Amino acid sequence: MILTGRKISDEASKGLIILDPFCEERVTSNSYDLALGSNYIVYDEQIIDPFEKPSFQMKEIPKEGLLLNKGDFILCESQERVGSEHYVPIIHAKSGTARAGLFVHVTADLIDIGSIGKITFQLYATLPIKIFSGMLIGQVTFWVPYGEIKLYEGKYQGSMGPVASLTYLDYV
Amino acid sequence: MILTGNELRRQIEMNNIVISPFALSQVNPNSYNYRLGSSLKVYDEQQEKFRSVLIPKKGYVLEPHKMYLGHTKEVLGSNRYAMRLIGRSSLGRYGLFLQVSADLGHTTSCHQWTLELVATQSIRLYANMIIGQISFWHNFGEINCYGKTFANFNMPTEGYI
Repeated sequence: MILTGRKISDEASKGLIILDPFCEERVTSNSYDLALGSNYIVYDEQIIDPFEKPSFQMKEIPKEGLLLNKGDFILCESQERVGSEHYVPIIHAKSGTARAGLFVHVTADLIDIGSIGKITFQLYATLPIKIFSGMLIGQVTFWVPYGEIKLYEGKYQGSMGPVASLTYLDYV
Repeated sequence: MILTGNELRRQIEMNNIVISPFALSQVNPNSYNYRLGSSLKVYDEQQEKFRSVLIPKKGYVLEPHKMYLGHTKEVLGSNRYAMRLIGRSSLGRYGLFLQVSADLGHTTSCHQWTLELVATQSIRLYANMIIGQISFWHNFGEINCYGKTFANFNMPTEGYI
């Protein structure tokens, strides 16, 4: 079952869903709109090797916006901290973002229950697009789990900005 | 409703979910991490067809913006739950798509899934690496077996339209 906007709002006010900062106007009928933060990551590697620690640069989206060219891929933070110990969040683009050909995740929409932190958007542009800090770029839905809950204790817990892949830690 | 990791384990014991081979360490709070199988299909633009390759020990580099077919190492399925097969955040953060907007696994299918791999930047893939995750969802309504077109394929299998 998917939560309605009203239920998201209720659960956020009780602290059962974390959306911080929370703005009532961002609640939609079945989701909550997420804004783009300002820090982003670009990898230096020509060929990514998931077994190796990646080299990357952390940058800031300038005030006048950042132009993504067709085929560009960057990681960017959400402005909000998002998570829940009671519901399963799933990340989506806003339809307006998708209509501009911009992916906000790369087949990794599912958030583990108990993971609380800023979302790392995986931005992949299929058309040239200018992005701005603060723009409403994505949305998060919340789903009811079934079964005994074991909370997330993984390597991305508590992210306070965009986090590059830590998959090499699985192999050390 | 989406099954928690603990519920997923319980349903495997009751034979309502098949994950084979299964490793406890690959259970997440609300999904299961699957591994990449050893064969890929690479599209040959001149011949206009896919050719099969085995991923060598040193890995296989995917070129950006090309589509490859892969498969899960595990047999994954359920007669009781619907499934969603996606990538993993650790690989999404490297810009690797694991499927091309076809995440839904039908109740009653049980096989090694074909993966549609698209890299947004060059990436080296290794056979057996943990690469994606599958979640299991409750059904509402009577379950019927919906066709078998792809349900029994275990190797990466191209589409028929």
